Amino acid sequence: MEEEDPISVALKQEENISPNEAPRLSVGQWLRTNLFSNWANTILTILGALAAFLMLRGVLNFVFSENREWVAVRTNLRALMTLSYPESQYVRVWVALGFVVALAGLSAGIWANWGGLPLRRLGTWFMGVGGLIALCVLVREPSVLVDTEGKALLTLSGSLQRESFGAAMADRVNWWIAALVLFGFGIALWSRFSSAERRHIEWPITSIVYVGIGIAILTLWVVPYGHYAFDDGTYIAEPGTTVAFSTQMPWTVMWALLGLGFLLGKFLRSSRYVRMSKTGSNLLWLICPFALFWVVLRDPALDYGHVMSTDLPMGLAFGLLGAGALWLLTRSDIGEAGRIAATVLLVVAIFNWVAAFFGWYPMLQKARISFLLLAFAALLAPNFIGDVAKRRQLVLGWIGVMALVHYLATMINTPSTLDLQSDEFLGGLGLTLFVAVIVVVLSFPLGVLLALGRTSKFPIFRMLSTSYIEVIRGVPLISVLIFFSVMVPLFLPDGMELAELAAVLTGYTLFSAAYLAENVRGGLQSITKGQYEAADAIGLTAAQRTGFIVLPQALTVSIPQLVGQVISSFKETSLLAIIGLFDFLRVANSVIPAQSEFMGVKREGILVVAMIYFFFNFVISKYSQRLERRVGLGER
Amino acid sequence: MSIDDATTAANDRLADRDDMIVCVNVDKFYGDFQALKGVTATIKEGEVAVVCGPSGSGKSTWIRCINRLEVHQGGDIVVDGIELTNDLRNIEKIRSEVGMVFQQFNLFPHLTVLDNITLAPIWVRKKPRAEAESTARALLERVGIPEQAEKFPGQLSGGQQQRVAIARSLAMEPRVMLFDEPTSALDPEMIKEVLDVMKELARSGITMMVVTHEMGFAREVADRIMFMEGGEIVEVGTPEHFFTNPTEDRTKLFLSQIL
Ligand SMILES: Nc1ncnc2c1ncn2[C@@H]1O[C@H](COP(=O)(O)OP(=O)(O)OP(=O)(O)O)[C@@H](O)[C@H]1O
Ligand SMILES: [Mg+2]
Repeated sequence: MEEEDPISVALKQEENISPNEAPRLSVGQWLRTNLFSNWANTILTILGALAAFLMLRGVLNFVFSENREWVAVRTNLRALMTLSYPESQYVRVWVALGFVVALAGLSAGIWANWGGLPLRRLGTWFMGVGGLIALCVLVREPSVLVDTEGKALLTLSGSLQRESFGAAMADRVNWWIAALVLFGFGIALWSRFSSAERRHIEWPITSIVYVGIGIAILTLWVVPYGHYAFDDGTYIAEPGTTVAFSTQMPWTVMWALLGLGFLLGKFLRSSRYVRMSKTGSNLLWLICPFALFWVVLRDPALDYGHVMSTDLPMGLAFGLLGAGALWLLTRSDIGEAGRIAATVLLVVAIFNWVAAFFGWYPMLQKARISFLLLAFAALLAPNFIGDVAKRRQLVLGWIGVMALVHYLATMINTPSTLDLQSDEFLGGLGLTLFVAVIVVVLSFPLGVLLALGRTSKFPIFRMLSTSYIEVIRGVPLISVLIFFSVMVPLFLPDGMELAELAAVLTGYTLFSAAYLAENVRGGLQSITKGQYEAADAIGLTAAQRTGFIVLPQALTVSIPQLVGQVISSFKETSLLAIIGLFDFLRVANSVIPAQSEFMGVKREGILVVAMIYFFFNFVISKYSQRLERRVGLGER
Repeated sequence: MSIDDATTAANDRLADRDDMIVCVNVDKFYGDFQALKGVTATIKEGEVAVVCGPSGSGKSTWIRCINRLEVHQGGDIVVDGIELTNDLRNIEKIRSEVGMVFQQFNLFPHLTVLDNITLAPIWVRKKPRAEAESTARALLERVGIPEQAEKFPGQLSGGQQQRVAIARSLAMEPRVMLFDEPTSALDPEMIKEVLDVMKELARSGITMMVVTHEMGFAREVADRIMFMEGGEIVEVGTPEHFFTNPTEDRTKLFLSQIL
């Protein structure tokens, strides 16, 4: 029996969802077959509609209630984004964001053919939005009447006194106009592109999204969201003005960067450098968190003297001398001498740590770490004896590892000394996204390694990974976070500090990696024995087999779970509040309500925050569905 | 008559060729169960050897030992002068000299046909991509599906997939090709297209060891047919000998069942 492979399944699904082939039912037919097919179904439909109606009305009443102070949210947009990150240093955040935005545009251009949206369908969307607005206007209860002091008036029977329906509709004339304009535009679009020959005219989805983002950014220039500033330790809110130029301009630049990145990506996609640029964009994504970390956290008064006199030379020395040593150790005539050299290195490396414990002689921590790594590399060296290509692999790998280790060590050892106006560092959505992105990017490779370890045929790797995963999965995230922010600094040897944020990121990454590993393991288990055998039979090495055959398929299979993990990492950043960081939710929940202008105004902010969380996760989830369908087809 | 006598007597054409695959007293155990019992055979360079026998007789086990997808526990296997031991370097060498085609094709579903074929030449043989791709296209031409290069395996018929698998193995320029029931998973109308490719290969002079029940194929291109049962080689001979006057009763029984 041959199982149905995922690709043919995906192919079939693709056929089913193809919009052109599916037989279209008329609206009446559709209603009859799906909602009113028999009387039980009819009752369910009516009850469901009633529930939906009540829910929608409740939400609308809440949102448009006279008691809502939306101005608190509008005015505090900046607080929600970055909290009290010093204004003079804002350029760093913009640089970081600009980098990511341009890279995102680039990748979107290089990797995917996004396809088009028939303008006719776009018309129906506009009609839908217009209709929805009209529905909302109708459904919302007439406003409560208030007296001159703003207190709600009651009827004689004690219930709220509301204006008449007609007056309510007249009050909402702006909304009616909006609904009609959108609906009318939709109809115009729809009818213009309904004729047989125009039916298939499409607009690229990317252009539509890009225009949408553009309109959102345009509102910064025209809509009086209100302004917010943090000055001299106090929050100053200025409702009723448009946001500052220093906000409008950068966002506009971001928009331009996104577009330029995309155009460049598209150009590269059709050029002969596709493969190279795909690799390049992946590499950039990998480097990106480190670069951003540095851009955002960097100590303005970073001691470049120390970097030049110590950090850099040391990194270079380890990188180059180590590379030379490894080159020698992989000579084919090295024989027994190689093993002896490696053992000596290992003994020295371990002795360094012992010495650190007793405080015999001073040595920078990163030197100890590098030494130990060098010893391990020397032990591995016999596997790389052979042709030049193999030796070069080891040497280049070593240089890469050293660059990373020394970069990280220098960075983490240099906690930010930004001149903060309060205890709070970067906060708000900025912090949330920053943590989420870095955690996801870093935990990904770690999780994959753990999963490979857990399914490895070497018992020692299996044991280590399994116990790591089980231990981490056995404790709540919050305890890991507390452990890293409070306890770990106590254990670090002298002369090594861990900035709070770095500590938290480390803990969070280690935590998230364990869960990711389990998801990847699920994918690994779904790879058939035949794939391994075929890879072996054509002579791939174990590493090539893993990288080219096993992992790509395993990751594809586990896309839904991996995306779930990404989404939950993103949402759980809200736990950062517990260890004292001001994440997005905390700003809405405790910073805004503490401002004198908006004392106790909480619900509005929280609703907006929830919506933004939802928006991000919705986009991620939609994208993953798309991705699944595409890789399911095998296309890349 | 011993097995070796039958072999040499029947194969004048191969008499002065070098040995390509030499198996001496190969034993293979799965736990307590002995799947191969002292298998001894020599396959000459350029020979086409067909292995047949009832299900569970150890055909797959044997052929898979030859490129070390299975590890044998007793006896020796020498392929093209390289002995199969635990030495990783020997295994690497063997694997790049021995191609294998599986019953279930085992193509890589996430790679295009072209990438399936060029992967090993690029990464194992370190060929430049352009060269590997032009070789791959030539091979697709040879197996009769030049127009499928950009498709994914899931978009091909079984027969086409198996031909891609053959091309993938050939791309490594192997000296030996192993086939383990290459047509058993195919619908009857696709069997022929794969067998045609294999016949063309056989004529090209590459050493082939084929596990198959396609007796027509065996009769037409095999230099020798080996009959296995219960983990042993029971009878060896030219197709003529094998189909007209097999000596062993078990062979006769088997032939009467499948012919
Ligand atoms: N991984 C394994 N573990 C245990 N026993 C095995 C394993 N693989 C094969 N065997 C046993 O070894 C014997 C030989 O199996 P093998 O697959 O070589 O047979 P075969 O001749 O190829 O049969 P078929 O024509 O059905 O493919 C069988 O009895 C089988 O049950
Ligand atoms: Mg078999």
